[in-house]
Amino acid sequence: MDTKNLISEAKARFNHKAAQDYLREKYKNRFQVATQQGLWFADEQTINFLSLFSTKKMILKDSQGTPIEVERKELLDTLKKLYTDTMKEYYQEWKELEAKR
Amino acid sequence: MTRGAILFAFNSPKYNYYSMAEYTAKRINHFLDLPVTLVTDKESLPAKSKYKFDEIVTVEPDKNNKRDWGIWINKGRYQAYELSPYHETLLLDVDYMVNSNTLLKTFDFCVDFCCHDTTSFLMHPTAAQEALSVYSYNTLWATVVTFRKTKRAQQIFNCLEMIQKNFTHYANIHNFIAGTYRNDYALTLALRIVNGHTTLPGDIIPWNLIHVGRNTNVYRDNDDPFNTSFTVMFDNWKKGKIRKEYINIKDTDFHVMNKDIFVELIK
Repeated sequence: MDTKNLISEAKARFNHKAAQDYLREKYKNRFQVATQQGLWFADEQTINFLSLFSTKKMILKDSQGTPIEVERKELLDTLKKLYTDTMKEYYQEWKELEAKR
Repeated sequence: MTRGAILFAFNSPKYNYYSMAEYTAKRINHFLDLPVTLVTDKESLPAKSKYKFDEIVTVEPDKNNKRDWGIWINKGRYQAYELSPYHETLLLDVDYMVNSNTLLKTFDFCVDFCCHDTTSFLMHPTAAQEALSVYSYNTLWATVVTFRKTKRAQQIFNCLEMIQKNFTHYANIHNFIAGTYRNDYALTLALRIVNGHTTLPGDIIPWNLIHVGRNTNVYRDNDDPFNTSFTVMFDNWKKGKIRKEYINIKDTDFHVMNKDIFVELIK
């Protein structure tokens, strides 16, 4: 189906706000990873908190509120990589979206 | 340890659920690399089909359920536990459009059983969450369920069977209309009963189920069989006039609530 024609014939307008909301929704699950017996959200807060410590192991609540003893450095590296990679993709799509204005 | 998906599809006078299941199964194979077992009835099986399911299980369906558009054969979902040949199973509605490998993540954190508890409507991201009734629980969704063959998962499916068989009783307690049996409602109650009338965070898929809802249509951007780009168009009613609005989506799974739209998409 030629959706470009369809949009033009229907005189449809691009809904920027809905597209932004969709992007947020799309990337929500991509920042999550299950590792070390827990489910973790690769967000700024968790990465910062893990960085505050220097111990080999620490006990941390995962995103479901379960306390888990983790290999701190290993988890930090996993979350940093996931955050960086996913944010790169998110930023790329966000830029494309902003260019549609 | 085996892993696979299971689909339930029983043709109704209006819709060919078998062909929807075949389409969804191909996408499950492609994006999730999982084998697919189909639960259906003899009447729904076509004389010839090019696609080969991992297994086909035929059962006698309960046709005693109706929606505004006709007979809706959606009962018997509790049999998924017994009929699944896999240790780890993804149970999906046939009108769920798989466009990514996202659902594989559910196997990483699912202990016994997990499903969605929140939804997001494309073009209506702030729409209220559905509840069984004003005074009852928010709905859990049976559209995507991941489970393992454990005692607790078995209890949940046994409870689902009990609720299906006593749906009117539970409708009276929770003040919803029992006229149409809904797997979502039965699942909401079953999981709560098994969990001691609460929900456990581990049973919930930690992202929203994306729905294509009312006044919204979806079109494929190309005819590739494994296309993942779609245009979503919405009729926005303002001051008695319709204003068409659209967005483009890519690599995102979604559930199509309107079967007519799904049928158009898979043509």
